Amino acid sequence: MDIFLQQLVNGLTIGSIYALVALGYTMVYGVLKLINFAHGDLVALSAYIGLVIMMQLAGALSPVLLIITTFIATMIIIATAGVILERTAYRPLRKAPRLSAVVSALGASLVIENGIMLIWGPMPRIFPASAVPNANYNIGNVYISLMQVLVLIISFVLMVALYFFVNRTKLGTAMRACAIDQDAARLMGIDVNRVIVTTFVIGSALGAVGGLFIGMYYRGIHFNMGWIYGLNAFVAAIIGGIGNIPGAMLGGILLGIFNAFISGYLSSSWALALTYVLLIVIMIIRPTGILGERVAEKV
Amino acid sequence: MDTKKIVSYGVFFAALIIVPFIFNSNWTSVFTTFLIYSAVALSQDIVLGRAGMFDMGHAIFFGLGAYSTAILNMVYGWPILATIPVAIILPVIASILLAAPIIHLRGDYLLVTTIGFNIVFIQALKNNVFGITGGPNGIFGVEPLKLFGFSFSSQTSIYFLAFFVLILTLIIIHNLETSKPGRALHYLNEDSLASECIGINTRFYRLYAFGLSAAVAGLAGVVFTLQFSAVSPDAFDFIQSVLFFTIVLVGGPSSIPGVLLGTFFMFVVPEMFRQFAEARYLVFGIAMILIMIFRPKGIWPVKFGKIPNYITKE
Repeated sequence: MDIFLQQLVNGLTIGSIYALVALGYTMVYGVLKLINFAHGDLVALSAYIGLVIMMQLAGALSPVLLIITTFIATMIIIATAGVILERTAYRPLRKAPRLSAVVSALGASLVIENGIMLIWGPMPRIFPASAVPNANYNIGNVYISLMQVLVLIISFVLMVALYFFVNRTKLGTAMRACAIDQDAARLMGIDVNRVIVTTFVIGSALGAVGGLFIGMYYRGIHFNMGWIYGLNAFVAAIIGGIGNIPGAMLGGILLGIFNAFISGYLSSSWALALTYVLLIVIMIIRPTGILGERVAEKV
Repeated sequence: MDTKKIVSYGVFFAALIIVPFIFNSNWTSVFTTFLIYSAVALSQDIVLGRAGMFDMGHAIFFGLGAYSTAILNMVYGWPILATIPVAIILPVIASILLAAPIIHLRGDYLLVTTIGFNIVFIQALKNNVFGITGGPNGIFGVEPLKLFGFSFSSQTSIYFLAFFVLILTLIIIHNLETSKPGRALHYLNEDSLASECIGINTRFYRLYAFGLSAAVAGLAGVVFTLQFSAVSPDAFDFIQSVLFFTIVLVGGPSSIPGVLLGTFFMFVVPEMFRQFAEARYLVFGIAMILIMIFRPKGIWPVKFGKIPNYITKE
């Protein structure tokens, strides 16, 4: 029972990180119908940028202020990178065949990944152990580290904020309208370009938080980690139903818990394979994901 | 085939024949890789370009072919020649079994599911499933192919073996283009619902495309094993599948010259820029974006003879 609860806590932590990254995929897919393959690499980039900022400011600020500054600065930088990505790689292809945009996304992913390698080198980098004080809380026989508490609380707050943004604000409504039908949205007077830029800003900023969490939680970061974290998060988005924001959150958390249980009870070397077996099974049973709606084939 | 086509293929083949005689063995090996990957890219094109299905797990079939030969030779002691039929048939069976339950999925879902298959495949190889795949290091020391007492062990002989496989692939694709299944795939790609309405069994032809492309990829896998006399999981990772996917789209779907050109850019050009090894994938990424912006249909898009423009337009 203790192992069960412990793995549940670990799974929830990893799952919240996946969920944050998955939101970026699902929002872009919702609006542009494009798998943003470069999103995972933006997540990796955010871990590197966060590390640089943290090292630069290490002595100058108090620990709490240091963390807050790192998060805010990284989110701003990655959001800018997301907007540049949209401008250069996706906007010129908006009227092109869909597969061209996919190749452009793959190209952008190569550029970011190898850019990271050229700047910071091919060796893994390690986050300082002191980034977050290594405190453990003991509830019954279950250990929760301060880092895990932070991940859970911040992710929860961000997801609730996003939910209210999308459902209660004007811009959020415009975003949902664009996801349903861009042309109709344009006819209703919605500035579609502005909505798409907003989507990239929010998606990238959430991905930046995910990337920083990955860095601080696992501590080791690698220039090509974007692919595997990105794909896992993308699987989370698909499991939940791609284009569906609560779906991405649910999918991320389910995937994290699933992963943790596989690692805990079976073996960690099969965890990745079983994640994709889960994906394939869900695709066969429910091709649009758990919360996804059935889409009628347009004739 | 018109004269222009015959002449250009003649020049292309003639150029390939003289390669091993004018280049040293390092470059011959680079061009061998080019020939092998061309065959795989052309087989990927059957599924992606001709049938219009987003398959991003094509390295599975390439890898199954390569691993079948290596395992049968090293673990069970079969001669290479006897392993070739297995290395063709096994990928075909696998492709049909894998594709059958997911063939109805729409574009992006199919793409992600096939990536999923590829990742499961690599994990199985790395975890040394059944104890015969050699784990993360793969299998080393596969024998050369022996045919009528001649042993294909020199780089030049393997080059011509790969050349033979590429010609075989081109013949298969030429036959496909002019046959009933080829036309069926073309209609399927244009409009699957309409093709179903005119009596094309879409499910059958989709599986047909997967099976045929898996057979070609499996055969190319055999030559891959022979070239390196080894196999390792990393050569068949999903990143490789992504690469084949990209080659077809950058070169031009269902265009043979386009796919060959794409393979050339992705495999031979990087070798020429070895001194910039570090930055070359960065440059490639930029090139991919630029090519897609300026030529969204690929570098050398296929032109359909007499079909009016308003039909071929997206």
